[in-house]
Amino acid sequence: MILIGENLNIMSQTIGPALRERNPGPIQEMAKAETDVDYIDLNIGPARKAGDEMMEWVVKTVQGVTGKSLSLDTTNPVAMEAGLKVCKGKALINSVSLQPGRLEQGLPLVKKYNASMVGLLWGAEGMPRDAAERGVLVADFMYRADEAGIPQGDIWIDPILTPVSVEINQVKSCFEFMSMLKDIAPECKSTIGLSNISNGTPTNLRPYLNRTCLIMLMRYGLYSAIVDAFDAELISIARGRKPEIAELVHRVMDGEKPDMASLSEEEAKYVKTVRVITGENLYSHSWLDV
Amino acid sequence: MALEIPKTAYSGKIREMKLGGGDKAVTVGGETAYPFYLFEGEMPHPPRIAMEVWDMQPEDWAPAALEPFKGVTDDPAAWARKCVDDYGAEMVCLQLLSTDPNGLDRGAEEAAAVVKKVADAVDVPLIVWGTANHDKDTEVLRLVAEVCQGRDLIMGPVEEGDYKKIGAAAIGYRHIVMASTPIDINLAKQLNILLGNLGVPDDLIVMDPTVSCIGYGIEYCYSVMERMRMAGLTQQDDKLQYPLICNISKEAWKTKEVHMADDELNMGDARKRGILVEAISATVLLMAGGDVMIMRHPEAIKLVREMIAELTAS
Repeated sequence: MILIGENLNIMSQTIGPALRERNPGPIQEMAKAETDVDYIDLNIGPARKAGDEMMEWVVKTVQGVTGKSLSLDTTNPVAMEAGLKVCKGKALINSVSLQPGRLEQGLPLVKKYNASMVGLLWGAEGMPRDAAERGVLVADFMYRADEAGIPQGDIWIDPILTPVSVEINQVKSCFEFMSMLKDIAPECKSTIGLSNISNGTPTNLRPYLNRTCLIMLMRYGLYSAIVDAFDAELISIARGRKPEIAELVHRVMDGEKPDMASLSEEEAKYVKTVRVITGENLYSHSWLDV
Repeated sequence: MALEIPKTAYSGKIREMKLGGGDKAVTVGGETAYPFYLFEGEMPHPPRIAMEVWDMQPEDWAPAALEPFKGVTDDPAAWARKCVDDYGAEMVCLQLLSTDPNGLDRGAEEAAAVVKKVADAVDVPLIVWGTANHDKDTEVLRLVAEVCQGRDLIMGPVEEGDYKKIGAAAIGYRHIVMASTPIDINLAKQLNILLGNLGVPDDLIVMDPTVSCIGYGIEYCYSVMERMRMAGLTQQDDKLQYPLICNISKEAWKTKEVHMADDELNMGDARKRGILVEAISATVLLMAGGDVMIMRHPEAIKLVREMIAELTAS
């Protein structure tokens, strides 16, 4: 599985100021520290003011200390192109959505720079309401990419994962869609903003949701995920080093009800977490304690 | 082949709870099916209506809301008695508006004395509603709990920011707390878990889901309450099986539409309009699973009582 590190982000307390002040130290430190991921996401936000200079600078700054692939993350198309121009190797454009205008700006960049793209399933009417609407958006992507001469293998579909504490039916339909994606678009790849699942959850508890959710999505052949690069346990899971836990999670997804008393504390946490992500139990911040 | 009507598979039950004490105590909850789904399960106790009384003279009430209480709005005890004697209130809710730190900021002792007077003036179950200011409610409700020991109050709102101290007072003096959360099912469940961890027994917890009235997002309240009932009844979520109290009258009667004059924008008779906004809002919330409605206008209450009677008739 391909992992994309999410930590080099303008929202961060250290990275944000460093990006704005063009201070390479914290940025290069962060890039060097993201050793266990395959891509480093460079998230400069909407970057409305001089976004092109910022993106060019951060790409060069990061490439000065690492040879890892880069995911360029901004909604500003001018900044995106500035980054692509200086990016060595095949870049990942994060992201292109189906909102009017976005696709028209994004696809030519993918083609021109032979990049890959995250195909964000956000349509003209906003967030898709269920699995079927996600399917329709994927078909749109395939058609439009084909017209633009972009191979389907360069599209990494992001079905949009929402927090478990917001609207559980959206989480369920995201999973339902992922179970169908291989049939709808066998050549497309997939990715997901994994940490979204735990948005709003107390910080110390977020990893349980992220890890369990990843195991659940891996079952559907998830190709890649945008993750916390410093969650070692999560990396182990992604690298297939936790087969027993993965098997347990998959059994619970299938409705098996293991005897909780026979489980270790760690296993019990995974089981409880599967049940809130599937919606079998309603989420609350104390989900691990009840 | 006979047609088989699809039926919801229920696995849980809403807790049956006694509110108040003595002869006039009422029981709510006990539902084993969605609201008024008598063809699928039981609703052993009809929803109840608590009539609203303020602890201060209301200044901005629409004339239609004020008229039925003429002469008593400056005396909470007389007001409460009027609700019971003249309008047949089976519960009363005393709103402690005067304690609002951004308003009159009346002290805890004075507020508690008023609560005691009202508690002594009527024998129906009494709800005491604070201002949702954590520090002030803690101070006021703790004292209220103490001076009204034995009266079996229902008091709140109790929120994540003040549940510990008010919850402790409720345990100590045995009153029911209203666990209040901002229209969010996950937070509601969490607060109930926290109250349980604190040691508040299940028979001392009811939920306030936070409500609004028609035209002001009631759909969202409906949906959250509906999901609470689904979790409690079909997913055996025992942290969401508490009865629901809806503080709706304040919301209905503060809307712009209720305050418009008869001829404004062709909105029709203002009195009828206010009554209907309140009655229809309460009806919607009853359909969503409300067990106790806090209401104001006797005619709105009459309409809702009739609706409850019709829907629960066997």
